[in-house]
Amino acid sequence: MIKKVVLSLAIASSSLFAHTAIMSCFDNGDGTITCEGGFSDGSSASGVKFRIEQKGKAIFNAKMSEDSEVTFNKPSGSYNAVFDAGEGHQVFIKGSDITE
Amino acid sequence: MKKTILSTLAATAIMATSAMAHFQMVYTPNMALEKGKTIEFKHVFTHPFADEHTMDMGKQHDSKNFAPVEEFYVINKEKKKDLKSTLKDITFKGHHNSGHAYTSKYKARRMGDHVFVMVPAPYYEANEDIYIQQITKTIINVAGTPTDWDAELGLKAEIVPLTKPYAIWEHGSFTGIVKSNGKIVPYAEIEVEYINRDVNMKTNSMGASRFEAPQDSFVTMGIKANKDGEFTFSIPKAGFWGFCALGAGSDKEYKGKELSQDAVIWIEAKPMK
Repeated sequence: MIKKVVLSLAIASSSLFAHTAIMSCFDNGDGTITCEGGFSDGSSASGVKFRIEQKGKAIFNAKMSEDSEVTFNKPSGSYNAVFDAGEGHQVFIKGSDITE
Repeated sequence: MKKTILSTLAATAIMATSAMAHFQMVYTPNMALEKGKTIEFKHVFTHPFADEHTMDMGKQHDSKNFAPVEEFYVINKEKKKDLKSTLKDITFKGHHNSGHAYTSKYKARRMGDHVFVMVPAPYYEANEDIYIQQITKTIINVAGTPTDWDAELGLKAEIVPLTKPYAIWEHGSFTGIVKSNGKIVPYAEIEVEYINRDVNMKTNSMGASRFEAPQDSFVTMGIKANKDGEFTFSIPKAGFWGFCALGAGSDKEYKGKELSQDAVIWIEAKPMK
């Protein structure tokens, strides 16, 4: 039984890791930013960790919603939006690259 | 009896020839966007390889006024948005003449596939005394996440892609299934054409031609779907390629005249460089 569970976990993780993590963000024009996460095979990013970093520190932590997105108040100054689906599957987007 | 079959075959041949080489373009210069942005479309009814005649979209036999586009909408993450009000009339200048066309803009900021469907009014082809209506799909993608590209929309005439139309390398291939109201169209007759000119988005005109066809059958390439309505075409050159399933649609008559209701889909192949 344990063997079976371990095996299916291994398959699940290898299939996840075969894909590229993807994130795209846009400025809503109302002082908020929306970031959408996903994978190159179309699988959902619901529940994947997301954070905003400023000067190397996390100032906002969240998880991607059911629709694989997060909306947050636009920080002042420079920042990075980070989609964190595990080692080797992190996407960084600079705040200055996020436009309407 | 034999005569009837022969004359039917001849009539079919004439009918098929008549609708040949027309392509409804729903063109935007890049189908695979790195990130969300506002994109512009040109909706032109033309012959994209030879550019020998630009048709007036919405031309009718019984009126000098052009009939308006029946439907234009987009689907992203299964949500449909009507875009008809974004269409603006333009005159598009082809190599030989100018024709009535449309331009439109769309804010493609959400990630994933944006499936655009254009259902123009049937166009009166005076040379053949028939109408042609090309139900056209153009699919663009933002950031690389696939969402809706393979959706079957149940259109009266539709090519359902089995290959992402925006993610094809030069020398790759495209596979699709011809359907009508969700049912396959076996042995559908399909025309394939390359947009052989640069589309000038600012001046609404076609640029100089890129390649010469060695013979007429290379201008509009005719292929057929198999018994399951499926076809595959290898893409010899980077750029935009149109596939048109002739008469695949369920509507066969418009204003008392014969109607060829076709399914069109556009793909873009990118060069490896």
